[in-house]
Amino acid sequence: MESETKQNNLFVPAAIVLAGALIGGAVYFGIRSSNGANVFSPQGEEFTGDLEQMMPITSEDHIRGNPNAPVIIVEYSDTECPFCKSFHPTMQRVMEEYGDKVAWVYRHFPLDQIHSKADTEAEATECAAELGGNAAFWKYLDRLFEVTPSNNNLDPAELPKIAQYVGLDVQEFNTCLASGKYAQHVENETQNAVATGGNGTPWSIVVAANGKKYPLSGAQPYEVVKQLIELALQEK
Amino acid sequence: MIMTLRQAQGHGERSRTMIAQALWIVFRKPPYALAALLVAAVAFAMAVWMPNLGLIAQVITDPSATLIQKVALPVTLLLSISTNFSVLSAPYTIAIPILFGVNVAMMIYYWKRRIGAAKGAMMTAGFSGMASGIFGIGCAACGSFLLTSILSSFGAAGALFILPLRGGEFGILGVVLLGLSIFLVAKHITNPLVCNTDLKL
Repeated sequence: MESETKQNNLFVPAAIVLAGALIGGAVYFGIRSSNGANVFSPQGEEFTGDLEQMMPITSEDHIRGNPNAPVIIVEYSDTECPFCKSFHPTMQRVMEEYGDKVAWVYRHFPLDQIHSKADTEAEATECAAELGGNAAFWKYLDRLFEVTPSNNNLDPAELPKIAQYVGLDVQEFNTCLASGKYAQHVENETQNAVATGGNGTPWSIVVAANGKKYPLSGAQPYEVVKQLIELALQEK
Repeated sequence: MIMTLRQAQGHGERSRTMIAQALWIVFRKPPYALAALLVAAVAFAMAVWMPNLGLIAQVITDPSATLIQKVALPVTLLLSISTNFSVLSAPYTIAIPILFGVNVAMMIYYWKRRIGAAKGAMMTAGFSGMASGIFGIGCAACGSFLLTSILSSFGAAGALFILPLRGGEFGILGVVLLGLSIFLVAKHITNPLVCNTDLKL
């Protein structure tokens, strides 16, 4: 009876140790993923995430703002993710407030396991870019985020309507989209997002003039993005 | 035997009174209230910071960042509870740390006072609630953050997407189990173990 009581009393310290282990485990996994190591790919493969694996920014990228800006924010995003939708106006505000000091690079990271329509929507934005250039890409993207209810709920019939709205030739747009010619491009950017440590969207990397990179996971408030920009602006 | 509505109401009323009584017993002592507050605050901060722990570590150790910047970033990241959590995940990300803090403080009280031997069911509910809550939190972006990382270690990341709430179920379960654990601790605090006399008068 006494030994049973003693044994039972050990539950409490054991509980504290176990709780500590659980929290420690959570933090460990959190840090590991934040640093990008050992994250999952949509295919379930493991990658060693590293911000330095970010594809170089080239003229092939969709850049809003001054391409020679001292700070560049590379956003990997999914058009059907509600957090990406809410983060889009935050980035628009950044561009309004920082002007030539910040450039915004948009890359695709459709999470097709939960948003099966996101791949096609990503390809649609690429078709918009092909038919109307960089300006059309951004107009199309802004409109897409505006009209989508998110969580895979955008009616695919909206895609040509958005093309029409931004002044593209709908027939050419439909031909482009049906060809699937940008599927590989979207896939490459997705793989790159994972390689850099992205395991959810939006996933952003703030790049300073000296190449220093700050990872930012999730739809963070404007104040957080602003702080990272200020930090990056200090780097010469 | 079927419980009548009046009996059920009476039972619910007694449970509420018992929990309120236990909370009053424990938290009228400032150290326990402080302990609950501290545990809840740390747990909440960890939950919100989890997706960006790497960034926080980078900025804190960055020699070019000022002290104000090192402090301001983690503080402003806490605001992401309003932007980076869904209507479902934000409430349980707040509720779990609060319940966790209350639970820990009550268990310490219970343990220190040695009111009675810790019961298996109580401890199990507490552990499971904590574990489930920890797995449930971190659904900060699309794709449950912590859970996908762990499941991917077993090559089972896709399993998460079968769940209708994409892992949010764990958060809800965490709230329920932590609530159950508090109920069980409260029950033992208000009804301490006694040596029953087996006398029949």
